[in-house]
Amino acid sequence: MTASIIQVLLSGAQAGIIYGLLALSYYVILSASNILNFAQGEWMMIAAVSGAVLIASGLPYPLTILLSVVIATTLAVTAERLIVRPLEQRGASLTVVILALFGVMIVVRYSTALFFGRQEEPLEGPFGNEVLAVGDSIFLPVQSLVVYAIGAATFVGVNLFLRHTWLGRGLRVAAIDSYGAQVIGIDLNRVRLVAFGLGGLISAIVGWLYGPLYAAGYLIGATPGIKGFIALFIGGMASPWGALVGGLFLGITEVTASRFLPSIYAEGLAFFILILVFLFRPTGLLRRRTS
Amino acid sequence: MTTATVITKKERDWHRVGTTLLWALTMLVIGLAAALFGNSYQVTLLVNLAVTLILTLSLNFVVGYSGQFSLAHAAFFGVGAYTSAVLSKTLGVPPILALPIALIVVATLSTIVGIPAARFHGYYLAVATLAFSILIEIIVRQSPSVTGGAYGLQQIPYLDLFGRIEGHAYGIVAVVVFVVFFLAHNNLLRSRLGRAITAVRDNPAASAAAGINVMHTRLFGFVISATAAALAGWLHAFYHRALNPMLFSAEWTFIWLFMVLVGGIGHWQGVVLGTVLLAILPEFLGFATDQTILMVGVLMIAAALFAPRGLGGFLDRIAAKMRS
Repeated sequence: MTASIIQVLLSGAQAGIIYGLLALSYYVILSASNILNFAQGEWMMIAAVSGAVLIASGLPYPLTILLSVVIATTLAVTAERLIVRPLEQRGASLTVVILALFGVMIVVRYSTALFFGRQEEPLEGPFGNEVLAVGDSIFLPVQSLVVYAIGAATFVGVNLFLRHTWLGRGLRVAAIDSYGAQVIGIDLNRVRLVAFGLGGLISAIVGWLYGPLYAAGYLIGATPGIKGFIALFIGGMASPWGALVGGLFLGITEVTASRFLPSIYAEGLAFFILILVFLFRPTGLLRRRTS
Repeated sequence: MTTATVITKKERDWHRVGTTLLWALTMLVIGLAAALFGNSYQVTLLVNLAVTLILTLSLNFVVGYSGQFSLAHAAFFGVGAYTSAVLSKTLGVPPILALPIALIVVATLSTIVGIPAARFHGYYLAVATLAFSILIEIIVRQSPSVTGGAYGLQQIPYLDLFGRIEGHAYGIVAVVVFVVFFLAHNNLLRSRLGRAITAVRDNPAASAAAGINVMHTRLFGFVISATAAALAGWLHAFYHRALNPMLFSAEWTFIWLFMVLVGGIGHWQGVVLGTVLLAILPEFLGFATDQTILMVGVLMIAAALFAPRGLGGFLDRIAAKMRS
């Protein structure tokens, strides 16, 4: 019984970190620009798929990771520069911006389907795809350790960036009051560009965490992408930690439910929890500290 | 930023009673002619067009006039269609009586989804409706005893009004239902509630100061739009008489949003023209292959970048030119 609880917590934390990181990438963009970028799950898909393609082409493995993350992040930045910025400068309504980003999501997803094909291919993890046995009843894929380590490092890194660098602080100021930020000389265009880049980078990292556990294919970003912003809204927008709390809560609940309930219920659980949170605790689990 | 004036002069011109009646009459005449003299393929196209027009106009109502982002239109459409079908097929309720029940079911569901979102503006409605939409699709797929699961429902009874309604007769019913919906839609826009809805969109604080209950107004806008989607679902169910869970797919909502964008968000004339234009290219909707979906994506970006006001903006320019 203890072993099975530990097993559930380990797998739940793994799913939770993946959801939490995606939630963080939504959070960064949402706080810098008030845009909920529904295309966010596609950058992880691009990182995983281009990783699979580059490995097949015989490139050295570390270079593959680097290059695929660069490709995904570049695409995210390009989307901001070519589509979001012109719309924002013209003062387009949020509805139009969000619809354009839906367009980006569709274009990225289905052009991948067209060029890469609809198949799903295994992606080799940085330390292989073996499974470690701890004792006789707990099993832990090596990739899970990678998820815990890289996930923690990314969270700490992004928080340090937001607290201690000029750009990161600018981003936080823009989140609190975009007009005030402009008054004190923060370039909102630059803040938005950095936020889309950082969001893209986080999502691309998730591609290398999730891809080896699952596969690389044109649709892999869809479900985690949705779970990511659901985790964000469950955790709350009070601080970047809301993303982690929401992600872990969602991941552990889902894995627990799929263990003890028929999988039918587990599949819809995230959406059910979200509606409950909206009804009874609409600002999310974590609340802003009021002084 | 949206303008502070609640109804601009341009909007007021479009909202004249004469304009509405002229549009209604034109659409009624063209629709009835198509229903009477079209072949069976054209009648199917006509019914589908009436269904899609109800969907895009009601989606435009919540997104354009109420300024809220709803992503569950396909879910409300599907619930309307499935409720009507299950009532008439399994429980033997006459199709015409299934309509009010389906409308009440969807109005109730959308109220539950809409209440938290109406209190907290912003992305709450978008996220809540998307979650709801996916949850409903899962539930429908997983309860085969009621909904037929992935296989869907077949052999739904015929609509019965003084005899069985099918083919040309159904085309006439569809046109009449649409035109009645259209008149109600435009009437609502001119009513006190309609003006309150646009006022809340433009300036919630000022509307509250003027005595409008912002939360109720937003909720009404959303629930009315969802209920109209259920009407479209009812109309769809008894013509095709077969339903499958693909109906609930969120991708439909995106296609209707795309039509609204092409027509011009918050501009009903543009939305009518945009829907007609995009819906009578049947390949555009019928076969969701990768290439066509990809094309929708590209056009969505292009429309947002190069024609953000859609066909409606074009219509406004012509109207301005004709006046001067």
